[in-house]
Amino acid sequence: MLNGPELPEAIRLDNGLTVIHKALPTPVITVDVWLPAGAIVEPEGCDGVAHFLEHLIFKGTERLAPGDFDQLVEAGGGLTNAGTSYDYVHYYCCAAEGQLPQLLAGLAELLLAASIPDHEFERERQVVLEEIRQYEDDPDTVALAALWAAVYGKHPYGRPILGSVESLEAQSSESMRQFHRSHYRPEQMTLVIAGEIGRDRALELAEQCFGEGRSVPKVMAAQAGDAVAIAPSAKPKPPLVSTELGGIHRHAIKLPTVEQPRLMLAWPGPGIDQAETAVGLELLTVILCGGRLARLVQDLREQQRWVQDIDCDYSLLREGGLFTLTAWLDEENLERVEDRIRHHLRELASQPISGRELERAQRLLNNDFAFSLETSEQWADLLGYHQVVATLPLALAYPQQVLQWTPDALQALAQRYLSPEHYTAMVLLPEGKD
Amino acid sequence: MTETLASPASTDQLPQRRVLANGIVVLVKPNPTADIIAARLFMRGGSGWETAEDAGLTNLLAALLTRGTEKFSSLEIAEQVESVGAGLGTDSATDYMLLSLKTVSADFASLLKLAGEILRSPSFPESELELERKLILQNIRSQREQPMAIAFESLRQLMYGDHPYALPGLGTEESVAKLDQAQLRAYHQRHFRPDNLVISIAGRIDIDEAIAHIESVFGDWVAPSEPLAQLTLPAVSTQPSRIQQEQPTHQAILMLGYLGATVSDPGYASMKVINAYLGNGMSSRLFVELREKQGLAYEVSTFYPTRLEVAPFGAYMGTSPENAAKALKGLHYEVKRLCDAPLSDEEVEATRKKMLGQYLLGKQTNAQVAQVYGWYETLGLGLDFDDAFQAQLEQVNAADIQETAAKYLQKPFVSLVGPQEVLTELESVELA
Repeated sequence: MLNGPELPEAIRLDNGLTVIHKALPTPVITVDVWLPAGAIVEPEGCDGVAHFLEHLIFKGTERLAPGDFDQLVEAGGGLTNAGTSYDYVHYYCCAAEGQLPQLLAGLAELLLAASIPDHEFERERQVVLEEIRQYEDDPDTVALAALWAAVYGKHPYGRPILGSVESLEAQSSESMRQFHRSHYRPEQMTLVIAGEIGRDRALELAEQCFGEGRSVPKVMAAQAGDAVAIAPSAKPKPPLVSTELGGIHRHAIKLPTVEQPRLMLAWPGPGIDQAETAVGLELLTVILCGGRLARLVQDLREQQRWVQDIDCDYSLLREGGLFTLTAWLDEENLERVEDRIRHHLRELASQPISGRELERAQRLLNNDFAFSLETSEQWADLLGYHQVVATLPLALAYPQQVLQWTPDALQALAQRYLSPEHYTAMVLLPEGKD
Repeated sequence: MTETLASPASTDQLPQRRVLANGIVVLVKPNPTADIIAARLFMRGGSGWETAEDAGLTNLLAALLTRGTEKFSSLEIAEQVESVGAGLGTDSATDYMLLSLKTVSADFASLLKLAGEILRSPSFPESELELERKLILQNIRSQREQPMAIAFESLRQLMYGDHPYALPGLGTEESVAKLDQAQLRAYHQRHFRPDNLVISIAGRIDIDEAIAHIESVFGDWVAPSEPLAQLTLPAVSTQPSRIQQEQPTHQAILMLGYLGATVSDPGYASMKVINAYLGNGMSSRLFVELREKQGLAYEVSTFYPTRLEVAPFGAYMGTSPENAAKALKGLHYEVKRLCDAPLSDEEVEATRKKMLGQYLLGKQTNAQVAQVYGWYETLGLGLDFDDAFQAQLEQVNAADIQETAAKYLQKPFVSLVGPQEVLTELESVELA
């Protein structure tokens, strides 16, 4: 593991585009374009714009009709998709080598020259509203969104990535084009090319498709006013988490379709600038919930049998992270389960875990890491994410960081971040059943 | 190019196959790229053998396998797996039960040994049985939170009637409440034998090494003298009908189902083309017509799993209540259209290429490779099933597709979930 894979370099083309090439013995090649234009750059009142634009990008350009690119990719045997998060948005294609020149040219065209026709804008808004409705019918998603909103308040991390009916109704095709012009320039993009393809060939393709001399329409120049309207720095962001708030903050939501109540507890933690600390918190998620031997699973599910399941997660974002515990349980167990969780947190803070427990958690995380780097798509994901949200070297530093933690250091970490007296609690209950 | 995409299924890249003296079939696909190994151990059987009374038995058995053996307690089994950071899981399906392993290469032998103990000598401890029963009952209730799952569950019951494929894999609250140790033991006795086992491995290991490990764990397991039980399933004799279920949801779920071709049916390849054409990807017909052109849905798709028996074909979408009637008519129109008019040659060709590409995309990880070939072997389809299927696919033309559509996709079973007002409105929508 330690003399593992080699870190590729990030190469800057003349037009500002960053290219990362990763040679792999995989016949499926992935091209993946990353941009820091996630929900975090949305102006106030424009919730969901970053994700909506991700949909609209596929609506074509002056030269590509809507659907042309999808047809080009899929009829050639490849696939394409995209994803929007708080800190980034990315667009990728997986295909065989022979298909690459066409696909990459198409992808570049979509990203740099999206035209966002008015009628496509209206129709796609309906699609996103359907997406919102679908998520509203999923209790776990609803509860998680409510939890994030409760913790992060007015900071962008407290917003729904999909936005709301109101925020989307407030947009126009022109406001979307403006958002696109401001955030989708070559100098803001990182292109990862991973798979069985040589470095020279990869760079040549990147230059052809994204470079100044590309055979597709020129990038639209930014217009006066764009920067002011969109730049997130125009106004300081609200603080990530209000620090003066202490104690336990309780929230409850009720939904008519809920069969199994949930208890969710959350603690804010460090962001990507303290990636090593985040890895420590990830180790604690394994100690608590990673497997049948983990403390909370063993106690609450296996021994007491008070929960159907219990899960723990550390979501790492650029500006901060969230440590979340979720239990699926019957309503009458809510109180005693929360008490037991607090008991276990006190224990983590008051005595070091055993060397055996630590080693188990380390091996699990490092094995999972090894198993998450089998395909070119996974590699592109890892490299693109780190280049855009963190730093590229961090991409492969993970196994080493996992091994650096000691029982004493983890105890100190639990003391610092996982207070049994200060957290946010969210309960999800069936409507009209109490 | 597509030529490149089709090649991984060619014979030089198939896994090696050996049959041990006791009947175990071993498949090995070496891949030295990373220091990891994925294995899938398939035991034929599965929920296809269940009745309404013992529905969920295979699922319960799979869950209990890792919860106690003659030598080890639940905790000791977890200790062996988790202390090396490996993955060992069990699962059940219609036609088989599955044990999955993922390890770094150095730990493979010890994990395989544990897998052997789990498959050969499970003890089904009472206390663990009660815990799993409780967890499964909670899980059955949780399923009702997902409108898509509710619609699908009901659709399957409508379509399959008295046939075991109608039964939910988790079982029902009534059946799971009554399952006991004796049933688990009898099931194990009947199905768990070496000549019913397929072991499929992919990763940093070669065939001789794999065989040596497997021989040392399973070599002394003797197949019973009585022949393997053969499953004879009743014919499916249902007629298309409709079910509507009231749920206070934001979207209405619309699902159309049809009894489709078995894997050995001449219409199988055509039906796979229909499935890919209608529901697979952003260039698929339903996606383009109902989502891109009309904005009626976020999720709209089809399913057609490969089955030895009559396979379900379905088309479904979630849509807002005010659009539900229009969407239901549109969804049905797109399926019906295939019975009434042929696709263009270009459409057939584009769909074929899309499907060929997906065979490559679906076999990228060691786990995927072990799963796909192990599954082919388990179902008796042959390791060269991809090649054979691709040859079939080359022969399919627009006329075959229309003929298959006309045979299977005439009148749908219909499953609808949503608020009462929508359901009332949809009652008047005729799908003839």
